[in-house]
Amino acid sequence: MRKDMITKKIEALGALMGIVGKRALSATGSVVSRASNVLTRINGVRSLCIAFALHFGLSATAAEPVIMILSSDASVNKYSIAQDTFKETINRVTIDVDLGAESATEPIVENIILDNNPDLLYCIGSKAYFVAKKYAGDKNLVVTSAINWERFKLTQKTFGVANELPTGMQLTFFRYFFPEIKKIGVLYSKKYNKEWLEQTIADGKDVDIEIIGRSVARTKDIKRALTKLLPKVDAVWLTSDPIVLAEKDSIQMIFSKSDELKIPVFAYDTAFASYGAVLMIAADIPTIGQQAGNLAQELLDNSKIDEKFQSPVGSSITLNMKKIVEYGIKLNKDALDSVNEIIE
Amino acid sequence: MKTDIISTAILRSHFFRRYIANGMVALLTFASLPQPLPAASNTAATQIIYFYSPETNINNFSSLKVEFDTYLSSFGAYEFQPFSEQATFEKFLGETSEGIFLISTWHFQNLKTRYPLKPVLVGQLRNRSTQKRVLTTRHDTSSFEKLRGEKIASAGSPAYTRTILRQIYGKENPDLIDSFKIFTVPKDIDALMAVGFGMATAALTTENSLIKLARINPKQHGLLKKLGTTEENLLPIVAVMGKSGNESQELLALMQKMGEQAEGEKRLKMLGLDLLKQLDDRELGMLGL
Repeated sequence: MRKDMITKKIEALGALMGIVGKRALSATGSVVSRASNVLTRINGVRSLCIAFALHFGLSATAAEPVIMILSSDASVNKYSIAQDTFKETINRVTIDVDLGAESATEPIVENIILDNNPDLLYCIGSKAYFVAKKYAGDKNLVVTSAINWERFKLTQKTFGVANELPTGMQLTFFRYFFPEIKKIGVLYSKKYNKEWLEQTIADGKDVDIEIIGRSVARTKDIKRALTKLLPKVDAVWLTSDPIVLAEKDSIQMIFSKSDELKIPVFAYDTAFASYGAVLMIAADIPTIGQQAGNLAQELLDNSKIDEKFQSPVGSSITLNMKKIVEYGIKLNKDALDSVNEIIE
Repeated sequence: MKTDIISTAILRSHFFRRYIANGMVALLTFASLPQPLPAASNTAATQIIYFYSPETNINNFSSLKVEFDTYLSSFGAYEFQPFSEQATFEKFLGETSEGIFLISTWHFQNLKTRYPLKPVLVGQLRNRSTQKRVLTTRHDTSSFEKLRGEKIASAGSPAYTRTILRQIYGKENPDLIDSFKIFTVPKDIDALMAVGFGMATAALTTENSLIKLARINPKQHGLLKKLGTTEENLLPIVAVMGKSGNESQELLALMQKMGEQAEGEKRLKMLGLDLLKQLDDRELGMLGL
């Protein structure tokens, strides 16, 4: 009965809308597909349909703020996870737009944004942010999963959650898992990460780890820098430095040279598991979505936001036991309580 | 192939929500439930350890399942089945008549009047079968009252977190506890560091985690202070429901031996335990039995 009521509301709203781009709501379950069908019929073209939805029975009222979620590509798993936890946290009606869809041409997306006039946009990924900035630059924008956001020219009302855990947190985990690893080498470019390295060296001291940095100005410098770095360290920490990560071959070389000397490589993303990373400490995506939801709520409440970009606080840890055994590294077994995934 | 701008996202969202809401592992659960074997077969039915804990944000289900299954299956027809959602787990409990359940003590107290669960084993960590939970804040938070409306980071479920806060602060502060925004993080150590990095005002964790942080990162620990502590509570327990046949007894015996073997210990460490041992009278008393 409840579903029928919701569907009637959706149908009524759909009939009122009539054209693409009017205010839309988001929904789940059979209600969604029925609503989608209704709107598909109204619009005539399925690829242009905006599904009306009532999120767990919430009804839209005139006072409800309009929240739009722009996903750079909803088929990317980590984007869709962030989107879902954002929605669960904010627990309000949302308009969901997938910029990765074939039909998401710029004029259509522009129309959707302008016609709906959202109060707040949650932008997942860099592409989403640039679109939101272009067409809703004066609105509150909450951004996550944006690579290199530090180098973006942010609008005054842009807030977000960074991609990587605070270095102090990552170092704490390094210490926790491998108490005997005291010297960690980092390849970095002064252009992008000079200040980061200085801060990391200081954070390392808090956990009794010496950070040894070796700068590279160009990708072709990596081999030489690595050759000098490896004999001095117990582990290599691969960070998201754009120069260091510019070429796949360089990444492969970092792993193969380290492997020859049985020096473990720590990384910031599980994507490096296939290269043979020993410990991967990434930000937990559901926690990022939750943080974005809290941030959005605070913005809607006009609360004071102290920090434009928060650090993610949830960790997701992958441990490569195969390499640990192969390299003969001493692992603190108690730390297994913090592992999300074990590679055997 | 992508076709829609919006409906694609919604359909995926719907699938994901169902996936989570029904318990991520529940999908695996029912796929891996023991299949009835022909009566003529001499093969014993698979014995399964069912696991659910609201005390920790268990998000390593697939690893837990793979690791425990690999270990247990080397001893016989045994499996491990974690659940991610309390409702799904309890629904399963209501529909089953027997099994071995690894559950939190807090959850057992809620379940014991509804289901015929008999506790037999308890976890142990550093020779102790109990632990305390602590509410930790930064030094500038002078009292519990100052936390009104603030963010409390916890690896436990919101319901569990609020129950523990009530345990610490009694019944005189119900509105205060209701005012908290519970911020769920994957691990205790994340919760503590969330406070250190200013992302939450307080963290509810085990006392062991706070001690651990003091050892690993004294500077972070130095930023924090304990604002409240619970009484000692038992670590997770193993309870049996229904007839406890030979196969169940063998599995329980195996569980007790896990902590003595490197491979078994490794799996228990993933649950934050060193070993499982038989409950003694004092511990049964703590369970109200």
